[in-house]
Amino acid sequence: MDPDPSPYPLPPEPLPMDRPALLAALRARIGRLERAGAAAALARSQAGVVNLSESIDAHLPGGGLARAGLHEILAAEPGAAASFAAVILGRASASIGGPVLWIGPEPDAWPPGLARFGLSPAELVMVRAPRSTDALWAMEEALRCPAVAGALLNLSEIDLTSARRLQLAAEAGGALGILLRPDSEEAGHTTALTRWRVNTLPGTGSAHSLGDPRWSLDLLRCRGNTPRNWTVTWRTTTDRLDTDQDNLAPAQPQTTHTRRRRA
Amino acid sequence: MEREGACRARDEGRVRSAPSLSIPKQNEVQEATASWQGVQGGSAPLQAARTTSRRHLALALPRLAVERLGWAGPVLVWQGVGPRREVVAVSGVTGVQVGQALSDAQAVAPEARVVEADPAADAAFRERLALWAMRFSPLVALAGQGDGDHALLLDVSGVAHLFGGEAALLRRAVEGLARQGVTACGVVASAPGTALALARAGVTGLVVRPGEEAEAVAELDLRVLPVEQAVVLALRQMGLWRIGEVRRQPRGPLARRFGAALLRALDEAAGEVVAPVSPIRPPPDFWVARDFLEPLITRDAIDVAVAGLLRGLCAKLEAAGRGTRRVVLRAHRVDGAVQELAVGTGLAVRNAAHLGRLFAHKLERLEPGFGLERMFLGAEVTEEMAGLQGGFVRGALEREELARLFDRLAQRVQLWRLAPRASHWPVREVVRVPATAVVEVPEGWPRAMRPVRLLRRPLEIGVTALLPDAPPSLLRIGREAHRVRAAEGPERLEPEWWLADPLRQGRDYYRVELASGARLWVCRVGFGAEARWFLQGWL
Repeated sequence: MDPDPSPYPLPPEPLPMDRPALLAALRARIGRLERAGAAAALARSQAGVVNLSESIDAHLPGGGLARAGLHEILAAEPGAAASFAAVILGRASASIGGPVLWIGPEPDAWPPGLARFGLSPAELVMVRAPRSTDALWAMEEALRCPAVAGALLNLSEIDLTSARRLQLAAEAGGALGILLRPDSEEAGHTTALTRWRVNTLPGTGSAHSLGDPRWSLDLLRCRGNTPRNWTVTWRTTTDRLDTDQDNLAPAQPQTTHTRRRRA
Repeated sequence: MEREGACRARDEGRVRSAPSLSIPKQNEVQEATASWQGVQGGSAPLQAARTTSRRHLALALPRLAVERLGWAGPVLVWQGVGPRREVVAVSGVTGVQVGQALSDAQAVAPEARVVEADPAADAAFRERLALWAMRFSPLVALAGQGDGDHALLLDVSGVAHLFGGEAALLRRAVEGLARQGVTACGVVASAPGTALALARAGVTGLVVRPGEEAEAVAELDLRVLPVEQAVVLALRQMGLWRIGEVRRQPRGPLARRFGAALLRALDEAAGEVVAPVSPIRPPPDFWVARDFLEPLITRDAIDVAVAGLLRGLCAKLEAAGRGTRRVVLRAHRVDGAVQELAVGTGLAVRNAAHLGRLFAHKLERLEPGFGLERMFLGAEVTEEMAGLQGGFVRGALEREELARLFDRLAQRVQLWRLAPRASHWPVREVVRVPATAVVEVPEGWPRAMRPVRLLRRPLEIGVTALLPDAPPSLLRIGREAHRVRAAEGPERLEPEWWLADPLRQGRDYYRVELASGARLWVCRVGFGAEARWFLQGWL
């Protein structure tokens, strides 16, 4: 006869658990999965950075806008945001060579104007992807390709998973990715390395001459450093981004965007 | 015997002088036909030497219009001819002739189903059968004069041995069509005209040996020739019923009375003139095909089969030192339907893995139905392609990587480059070129400040100016009013009169900066009270 009267076997006794050790092991595993830390930093440092201006470069980790990464631009004003993206992409393309892909549902970027900001039509490829799934796929393929210098995706909404996929693709391929989104209060979290808000400022020219464009650059989020705000002027004649030195105070902390990432 | 020998000698001289076998020159035709009356019997070896290189299989489909419907039982297909309804195809009814009035036919066979003829559907079905027949030869043409006369023509030169000889090929083709419920009369001959004439006459299973064309068609009724019915009737009134009888008449009077078309048809039927065959699909430069004993249904099996075919095709391309720009996959279904998928590439490729990735998305569209029994893969456009050894030529690997990326993207999205063009009209300043093209930027381009984003459709806005022709001082975009801080302009652009609508008006462009700093490109169309303002882009 069965000595045990219970029809079901009893659950095994829980083993004494080393909670801190388990948590550490899980963290390490997630870290490996995310490729955060050493491997990713190494990949970025090898891929190099894109220089913007002395003051901005000094603030950004690595001494510039990291290649092999995804950066997000919130367009408070469509023209200025496209111009700033063109500056970044033009410099990314000029330093290592390779085309730049401009992906959007109806890409309306206009090369005669973008050429003023250093993005040559010889390097610009337009991609029309009406459906967002196709656009995300095209962006991922472009970022994964080692021959591409940079890619821009014009999209209004993106979920965290897709953004993370783009970041991993950029790390694998070495291209600089830009997410160009319309500005909104509820921009949500991001997995991009940096998030910028670009707005225009009144120029200094006379009533009959526009002068050089001036922008307000809000670095809302930056992996590895604090948020910051700059006022910059784009010098069309010398292709330089000049920072106003008198505006070096850190930006006002914001509730949604400035939460420091846990170490 | 002596006469034959003389003919052969003449003939050899002819072959030496004109080795081209496809379309004989005009004087050759005249020379050949001049010998009709005297040396009728001896003309056979003459044609043999000229036409041995090509062999054609004609498949006449006399009951296609009925069989397309796939109905059992008696069927009458009619067509409106003027005020009356005429029977154009019959199935399962005895005592009804094609050309009879429909009401008479219905009186004979009241139980028959009656349906109106649909020439478009017939043509589509014939095209489907032609695609099916491409399993026998890559050169398949449609023949027939319409009005219920349908036929397929296959150039089977050099492929018959794959099927065990011409007779076996012919049997397989006719049996294959019969399995799809289509009655076919098949004849193999050197000249397509001969084969078609015999097949149309209802002969089936006949293989005409080279040089015997004229004898084979001599006893056929004139109706099988592709000539007008009135010509056939007129010849019959003269007591000429058969092809051989007409061919014995002097050519001059025949041509004067009935035109050159009759002589041409007679020559083609006798195999003296070989009409060119225009295939429904261009013959691929390289191709591989595979038949499956067990039809493929699952995606996995199809993937494996396509990968194998691509490897075979790329091996052929590599051996020839060429790369392909366009690959077509033709999947033959068990029920006879054929589906085609094509991929194009920016640069010539012969990398099976890359082509496989391009096909991966397209294969989703394939409908295997009850299974695929045959797959054909053809490289339609090929280019010279030297072997590449990575690492030595700087930029070569990047270029190839990039071309592959563009190929992959082009399967799902549109991509292009914008190249500068010599034009001052804003939207014509750049032109779309393929993504793989190289864009040259001229010195000093662009001439003036242009927007970074150009609206595809300019937005009409309201503008307030201090004076009628002064720069704007207030913009109303939608319901919002924006004060203008600075304005540059006007830049007057006149339309290109040699291209555009002559009534199109010139435009005055202003570059304005709003109080917020936003920079816009606005233009005025028209002047004075009729002026309309548009926002065309962001600077």
